Amino acid sequence: MSVEGQHTVGDDRPQGGTGHRGSADAHTPARSVARTLGRLLGRTVATVLPVMIGVVVAVFFLLRLVPGDPAAMILGDRATPAQLDRLREEMGLTLPLAEQFGNFVWGIITRFDTGDSLITGVSTREAILAKAPISLGIVALAVIFAVALTVPLALAAARNRGGFADQVVRIIPTIGMGMPTFWVGLLLIIVFAVQLGWFPVGGVAPGPLGTLWSLVLPAAAVAISLVPPLVRSLRAQLLEVVDADFVTTLRAAGVPERTILTRHILRGAALPTIALFGVNVAYLIGGTLVVEKVFGIGGVGTLLFQSIGSRDFPVVQGIALYCAIAVVLITLAVDALATWIDPRLRGRQS
Amino acid sequence: MKFTARARGWRIAAVALTAALALSGCAAEAPAASSGSGEGPVSGGTLTFGRAASVTDLDLHQQITANNAFAIDKIFEPLVSFDADGKIIAWLADYEVSGDGLTYTFTLHDGVKFSDGTEVTPEDVVFSITRHLEMEGSPLPIEAPVDTIEATGDREITITLKSAYTPFLSELAGFSNGVLPKDFGGANEAEFFKSPVGTGPWVLDEWDPNGDLSFVKNEHYWQDGKPYLDGLVYKFVADPTQLQQQLVAGQVDAVEQVPAANSAEVGGNAALQLIEAAGWSADQVFFNTLNEHFADEHVRRAIAHAIDRDGIAQATGFGTSEVANALVPTAIEYSANDQGYGLAYDVDAAKAELAKSKFADGFATTLAIRNDRPEFAQIAQIVQEQLAAIDIDVTIESLDYAVFKERVYANLDYDFMLNNGQADAPDPNGIISFQTDVTGFSKSYWTSFSDPEVNKLVEQGRTTADGPEREKIYFKIQKLLAEKAPFIPLSFPANLQGTTASVHDYTLLPNGSVRFQDAWIAQ
Repeated sequence: MSVEGQHTVGDDRPQGGTGHRGSADAHTPARSVARTLGRLLGRTVATVLPVMIGVVVAVFFLLRLVPGDPAAMILGDRATPAQLDRLREEMGLTLPLAEQFGNFVWGIITRFDTGDSLITGVSTREAILAKAPISLGIVALAVIFAVALTVPLALAAARNRGGFADQVVRIIPTIGMGMPTFWVGLLLIIVFAVQLGWFPVGGVAPGPLGTLWSLVLPAAAVAISLVPPLVRSLRAQLLEVVDADFVTTLRAAGVPERTILTRHILRGAALPTIALFGVNVAYLIGGTLVVEKVFGIGGVGTLLFQSIGSRDFPVVQGIALYCAIAVVLITLAVDALATWIDPRLRGRQS
Repeated sequence: MKFTARARGWRIAAVALTAALALSGCAAEAPAASSGSGEGPVSGGTLTFGRAASVTDLDLHQQITANNAFAIDKIFEPLVSFDADGKIIAWLADYEVSGDGLTYTFTLHDGVKFSDGTEVTPEDVVFSITRHLEMEGSPLPIEAPVDTIEATGDREITITLKSAYTPFLSELAGFSNGVLPKDFGGANEAEFFKSPVGTGPWVLDEWDPNGDLSFVKNEHYWQDGKPYLDGLVYKFVADPTQLQQQLVAGQVDAVEQVPAANSAEVGGNAALQLIEAAGWSADQVFFNTLNEHFADEHVRRAIAHAIDRDGIAQATGFGTSEVANALVPTAIEYSANDQGYGLAYDVDAAKAELAKSKFADGFATTLAIRNDRPEFAQIAQIVQEQLAAIDIDVTIESLDYAVFKERVYANLDYDFMLNNGQADAPDPNGIISFQTDVTGFSKSYWTSFSDPEVNKLVEQGRTTADGPEREKIYFKIQKLLAEKAPFIPLSFPANLQGTTASVHDYTLLPNGSVRFQDAWIAQ
C-alpha cells in the first residue's frame, strides 16, 4: 500500500519540499490548483491501477488455497456426490482456473461485482453496499475522534515538555498501543454501556440519532487504537517546530501566541502526522471490521466474518476488493490533504 | 423432559414479580394449566430474539440448517407436531393409523387457513409432501417407505406405506414437512420462498439474508387468539458475549443460546430467566473404524473405560448437562441411559482391554475437533490427559468447521474426533440409524462402523409398533453399541436459552426451537 509522497515520522520536515508540490514558479493560483489536481489524478491512476491488479489477483488465488468446499457448505451433510458436482458446475468451480479468473475479472470490470453470494444468492455488490453505510459511519466517526483526541493531547504534551501532562501523554498511548481494538471495545462496553448505561451495548438503534449514538463506542474503540502513534508523531513535530527560528521571529514581530500556534506551528507540525495517518488507514479499516463483531453491528465486517465461515467466496472477494479500493482512495485523499495544508503551497495561493 | 430450570425460573421470577403473576406465567407453560388467576396472557408488543446466525433461506425442503429451520417452522407447520416433552401431538390434522401400520389417515382441522386467508385443502398437503419426497438430497428426508399419498375427502389425506414404519409420524413432525399452498399459490418457486405463505403463527415482514429478520403475527392463525405478540424480530448478533450483554441490558428480550458456563450467571440474575430444556443431542467421541488403531474393538473399549464421563459432564456442562451412559438422549423414548450399559470409568479395566489389543504398549494418535464449539476444546484436553494414563498419546487438532467437514465428513481423513450427534425427531430410530447405517450418507456418522446384528435390530425397531417389545429392541441396540464402542456418548447437553423476566410462556422445544405463539410480554 505504498503511495508516493507518504512519509513516516521524522523523515519529512514541514519546510522541506517533497518534490511533487508544484515548481517554484507556478503562475496563477487557478493554474496551480489545476496542475495539482492533474498531478493527483495521474498519481491516482498510477497508484490505484497496480494496487487493484495486485488485489484482484491475490484475492482470487489466495482464496482458492483455503481448504473447505463451498458446495459442501451450501448443500450440507446429506448432499450426494452428484449434487455436489452439479452445484460446483453451476458455481463455475469446475471451469479451468484461467477461465474462472477471466470471468471474475470481467464481472469486476463490467458490473463492479464479484458475483452472487453462494449462500443467499444476493449480488455481492448489493450485499456490501447495503452494509457499507454503517461501516463507513464508524470509520468517519473514528477519524473525527482520532483528530479530536490527537490534537489536544499532543499540544498539552508539547506545551509543557517533560512536565506531568507530557509524561501522561507519553505513557498512556504506549499502553493504548498494546491493546487490541476488540479488547478496547469490550472495555468500553463494560464501562459505558453495561455499568453506566450511557450507550447501547451493541447493535444499531433505529433513526439517524440512534444510529449515531450506537456508533460512538465502536468508533471510539477504533480511534483509541489509532491515536497513540498519531499523538507521538504530532508531539515530536510540535517540539521541533516550537523551537524553530521562524517561530522566534514571529514572536519577536508581536504576532499573537494563539495565531502562531494555530496558523504556523500546528499547520507545520501536522503534515507528517497526516502522512502517518495515511499509512494507518488500512489499520483503521481493519479495526472497523473487527470492532463490528464485538459490538454486534451488522456491517461489512460482520458480513466478512459470516462469509469466511461459510466459504462464501464471491462475498469475501468483493469485500477484500472494496476495502482495498477504500484504503487506496483514503490514502490518496490524505495525501491531497497534506498537499493542501503544505505552508509553501498555501503561501503561494494567498 | 426435564425442567429443572423451570423450578429455578419460578424462584427468580417470584423475586422479580408478584407471586401471582409469576405463578400464572410459568404454570401456563404446561398446556393443561390455564391461567385461572386472571393474570392471563397479555396481547401486543414485539419480542426481539437475539440469534447468532442470519436466516439465509426459507425453502423448507432444501435449506434446513439450524438458523433457517427455526424461522421456517414459524411460517410452515406440519400435520403433526410434538409437545415440549417430545410427545407426538396432532397439529394441523388429527390422525389415525391402521392396525397393520400401513395406512395413515389425516383429517385437517376445521378452519385451518394460510396466512393469506385461503383455506388449506388436502391438495395443498399432497403437493407439499410430494415435493419433499421428490427432492433429492433433502437435509431431513422422509425415510419412511411411502407408497401413495392422496386427497381422499374434503379435509382428508391418506398416506400408505409399502411396509410398516413406526417412526413415520415423528418424521412428519419435522421442519421439512410443513404445508404450503399447492403450486406455490401460483407464484414462481423462487419468489414464493422470498415471501412465503404458510399456516404458521408468523408471517415474514422484513428480511435481510445477511442480517435481521422480522415477523408480524398471522391474523388468520388457526389457534384462536394466538399469537399474543404483534411482532417477532430475529436480531442477528454474531458475537456470543455481545448476545448475552444485550440480554442483560434489555436490548433483546431473549437469546437463542446461553453457554453452559454462563448459565448460573443468567439464572442468578433476578431480571433474567434461564430457560432450560433437555435436548435431543449427545456429545460423543467418534472413532474412524477404518483407522488401524480404532478398527480394534479392544482399543475402543479401552478408551471408553479410560474416559471419565461424569467428570467431563461436570467440567463442561456446569450442572446443566446429563452424563450419557447410552446413545439415545433421555428426552427421547427408549433411552437406555439408566440401564448401566456404558463402560464405567476404570483405568485398570482400560489397561486390561488395551493389553488384549494389538497395541498393548499404547500408540500415538490425533483427535480432531471443530473450533466452532469451544466446549470441545475443553473436552479434548480432558480426553488427552485421561488417555495418557493408558499410554495413548493424543495430539489435538482444532479445525475450522469448513475444514472439519471436508476432512472428516467428505474424506474420512481423521483418527478419532469429538462431535455432537443430533436427533431430529423424538424417535430413537433417527439418531441410531444415523450413527449405525454405513450405507447411508453419514456412513455411520463417518465412523464406517457396521455390525450385522445391530443393523438387523434397527430394521426390527422401525417396523415394530410402539410398546414394550420395541423398547426391548432399542435397549438391546444401545447395549451392543456400548460394548462395541464405535463411538462413546459423553453427555447430553441441555438446550439453554435466556429471556428477560417479563417474558412468559416461552415454550422451548427439545429440538431447540421456540413456540413463540404462546409467549407474551408483561406490560
